[in-house]
This record gives sequence, C-alpha cells and structure tokens, in this order.
Amino acid sequence: MTNTRFYPSLFSRIILSGVFLSSASLAMADNFQAFTAESFKEIKSNFEGEEFLLGLWSVDCPPCMVEMEFMSKLVKLNPDIPYVLVSTDPIDQRNYSAEFLEDVGLADKESWMFADSFVERLRFSIDPNWYGELPRSYFFDSNHAMKSHSGIVSEELLQEWFNRTLNFR
Amino acid sequence: MKLTLTDLAAIILLSITSTSIATANDCNETNPSNSVSIHCGDSPSATFDNNGRLWTVFVQDQHVYVSHSDDLGQSYSVPVAVNPVREDAEHNGENRPKIIVDADSNVFISWTKKTSPRFTGEIRFSRSNDGGKTFQTPRTINDDGLFAGHRFESLYLTESGHLYLTWVDKRDLEASIELGEDYAGAAIYYAVSTDQGASFSTNYRVANNSCECCRIAIAPSGTENIAILWRQIFGETTRDHAIAVLTPEGKTQEIGRASYDEWQIDACPHHGPTMIQSRLSGDYHMSWFTNGDLHQGIYYARYSFEEDHPQYVFRVDGRAGAGHPYLAEHAKTLYLVWKGFDGQNTNLSLIESTDDGASWTVPKILHTTAQGSDHPLIVSGDDGLYLSWHTQEMGYVFEKFTANGET
Repeated sequence: MTNTRFYPSLFSRIILSGVFLSSASLAMADNFQAFTAESFKEIKSNFEGEEFLLGLWSVDCPPCMVEMEFMSKLVKLNPDIPYVLVSTDPIDQRNYSAEFLEDVGLADKESWMFADSFVERLRFSIDPNWYGELPRSYFFDSNHAMKSHSGIVSEELLQEWFNRTLNFR
Repeated sequence: MKLTLTDLAAIILLSITSTSIATANDCNETNPSNSVSIHCGDSPSATFDNNGRLWTVFVQDQHVYVSHSDDLGQSYSVPVAVNPVREDAEHNGENRPKIIVDADSNVFISWTKKTSPRFTGEIRFSRSNDGGKTFQTPRTINDDGLFAGHRFESLYLTESGHLYLTWVDKRDLEASIELGEDYAGAAIYYAVSTDQGASFSTNYRVANNSCECCRIAIAPSGTENIAILWRQIFGETTRDHAIAVLTPEGKTQEIGRASYDEWQIDACPHHGPTMIQSRLSGDYHMSWFTNGDLHQGIYYARYSFEEDHPQYVFRVDGRAGAGHPYLAEHAKTLYLVWKGFDGQNTNLSLIESTDDGASWTVPKILHTTAQGSDHPLIVSGDDGLYLSWHTQEMGYVFEKFTANGET
C-alpha cells in the first residue's frame, strides 16, 4: 500500500470540507441511498432480467476491506460487472463509510446503507438465512436465482458465478 | 423566606442528584428537548453495587454516561458524563461500555474509542472515587502508542480485587505488515490493575490470530485469576472458540479449545460468546453462535480444563435469525436468554437448567418486539437475576426473572 494513493482523496476532502465548512455532516459527498425493508425488492427490480452482484460490508469488518480492495481492482478491469454495495452500518454514520469507499476506489458504485435500527428485518429482507456475518456476497443470475457466500470472495467463485471469463490482473 | 448561600447550594445539589424519568417515547426526533437518559441512549451495561443500587452506563451523543437507580430501574439519577470531551465511543451489541462498582464504591468504566473508519481504536478507562459524582479524565490502556486496532474490551473484577481489562489488539498484525508477512486476524491482550484502577500493568499478550470482531467473555478462575473465552482462528480459517486462564502477573496459564464447530470462514461473525463459572462443578458454562460445518445455530456446552473438551453440547436454537445468547446462574439454576427473528418480530427467549447444564427446559418467549433492539444481558443481584435489554419500543427494560422464568 503506498501513501500516494491517498493524496488525491485527502486533497478532495480538504477542498470539500472548505466548501461545506458550515456543516460537518456534509464534509463528504456520497451517493448512499437509504436501505429499508423495501429496498432489496427495488434493487432487484432495477436489475430485472439481468445478473448482478451484491456486496454487503461494514467499516467494522476487517475482511471486508480486503474484499473491497480486491473488488475495486476487479471492477476496474471488468467495468461491465454490475456491482451493488450495501453497508450494514447505520446511514447516520455515512461519513466513515464514504471515506472508505473513496479511498478504496468504489465511491462511484451504486451504494446503500442500512436506514432502520431494526437490522434483523433488513437482513431478513435480503436473506432469512444470513446471520449478519460479513463480508457477505450474493450473485443473482438473469433469472435472479441466488447464490450466496460468507467471507472474502475468490477469483474461482466469481468466475463460477458469472460463468464467463473475467480479467483478474 | 430568605435563602442563604448554603440553602442555595443544597437546592442545587438536590436538583442534580434528583431522579429523572424518561421513557422510550420521549426519545424521538420530534422531541429535541429529550434529556440524556438510559432510555434514549445506546448499548447500556448494568451492575449492582454491594448496597443493592443499580448502576448503568450507556452512550449518547459521543458521551459515555453513568446513571444509577435505587428502585430497580423505575427511575434513574441524572446521568453523569464520564468523558468531558466528546469521543467516538463504540456503541453496538458487540461493543458497549462496561461498568463495575467495587466494595469501596469505586466506579470503574471502560469502553472502546473508535479512532478512524479503518477499525482502529483505543481501550479507554475511567473511574470515580466519589460514588459516581465525578469521573477521572479517561485514560488509554493499550500501551503500544500505535494508531491501530484495539477494540472489543471486556472488564472484570476478581474476588481478590484485581481489575482485568482484555481486548482484541492488532499491534502484531501491524508489525507483520511492516515485515511483509501474513498475519491472520488479530491478537488477544490484557492488562491488570492491583490498585483499584489507579494504574494498570503493561499489556500482556494471550494469543495470536484471534477473530477481529467478537466480544470476549470473562469468568473467574479462583480468587485472582480469570478465564476468558473468545473466537479464535484455528488453522487458516476455522473460527471456533478458545479458552484460557490469565493471571495478574501476565501469564497465560492454561489454554484450550472450547468449541469444535468447524466454521470455515474468512469473515467477521460479529457474534461473541458468553461464559460463567458453575457454582456446582467449577466448570465453565458457555454459549455461542456458529454456522460451521458441524454445528449451526446457538449452542451451549460445559467445559473444564481437566477434560479439555466441550461436554453436554446442546443446540439451543438452530433457526435462522437466532443469535446473541447470554448466560447467568442463580440458586443453582442456569438461565440462558437469546434473540430470534421470525420475519416480523424479534423474540427474546429463555431456557433454564437445574442440573448444571445437562438438560434444559423448553424455550419460553419473554418479550416480543417489532422494532429494533440491543443484545440481551443478564445482571446478577443478591435476590436473583434481572434482564437488561435496550429496545426501541420499550426503552431500557430492566426486570427480574422469577423462579418459573416469568419476568
């Protein structure tokens, strides 16, 4: 990991915080949408007839960071991968999450954050059989048949899920 | 009537020591005037002192607050801020502030201060020597001076008066990264105070390669040692549980494997175990969550270092959505509470055992809520056990378990 990687985002943060000096909560621009018990249906309907990959993560999950560094490289090498991120951290703590996505290079992806303190219901809306462990990944094929994985995704798994050649390096 | 300065001082003193009553309904955005209270705050812990006074600690607006109750949670004192300067105290089910009151009415508080988005943190400690009226400036107990992960602290006071702090620490991971070496997970560290929290020992390492994101359970081992139970990485990716005995001198005396679930996962379960020592056998009662190849769900087992293998392994709840068990014992009866979710509601369930964990009653649902809730805890009092459970709907629930399991 080199320090130079972080300079652009740090620079942009200084500029942004200067612009929004009056409001600390706006120090980071982000594109988070509020994830409620209805949101997963919405995500699926947006991808109707299309495959997509859903990545669940949290700033409190060290293995998530490893996975997202990996996924960031992967989506740069394969820009056509439909990748949606859902953070299980409460949306009122969006600054931490925005900072991480900016640093890891995933800030431009479709992104959601949990927006209901009844997290059991939110988890259930995605998958009743998910216990909350992170990272958690779901692949939906074009018929929206679901495959899931707990823990860091591997090249082999993604290759199998997408069933086509992906560029990993 | 003329008021003297002494009268005024007395009135002011009275007003700040009088009780405040806030209910969960007071805690919403449309009522910005709502006071700081355990009902409105987050992630409380609770304990009784030797006089039967209930003490609670919780987080609200980046302050750790302490509040006590002399009527078993009907009303609470005006909360006192432990940290005068706001800091990002962790407040979630797995990572909450802790509170212990010793026989001399010293109040000990610990919490984890989050220091960046990348799961770095510091182990913070403060105490009150004046019965909770004021708190000393919080101190950082991890002594490596690193901007690294130190999180998921647990606090325990032994019969001998040794105050232990244990936590999950990433200093060894950082050192490995510097050397370009791989390091799985984090490490378990601890420190001990022998002077009622005035000072702490250097930090001692218990084990490398622990899971990074689960609470540590503590129970006594003799009068001055402790036993700890934590999620450990066995082999490359198996996240089952380890148990060890720690001494005040910094020695890890015994270490064993407490669960064999074969949970092969390179992920954060965010599900820490619970453990108490049996008064009948001296063994350890344990409960935990797993989603392994061998076991899936919430489990109970009894462990002794002599046998070095979990006994009486029992699946408490294998349904999806079950989690966060908590164990306690009173009058030779074991109580185990946990949460489940049925798609609509969260159910808080209880089972009991009167034969040291060999057999259990059928589950009884104690509470149901259709809103958010914290992990359930059990607080031991002289006359019995109390449920400590923070909920969005009911606020902070503190209520006694009766003999037949009713609350």
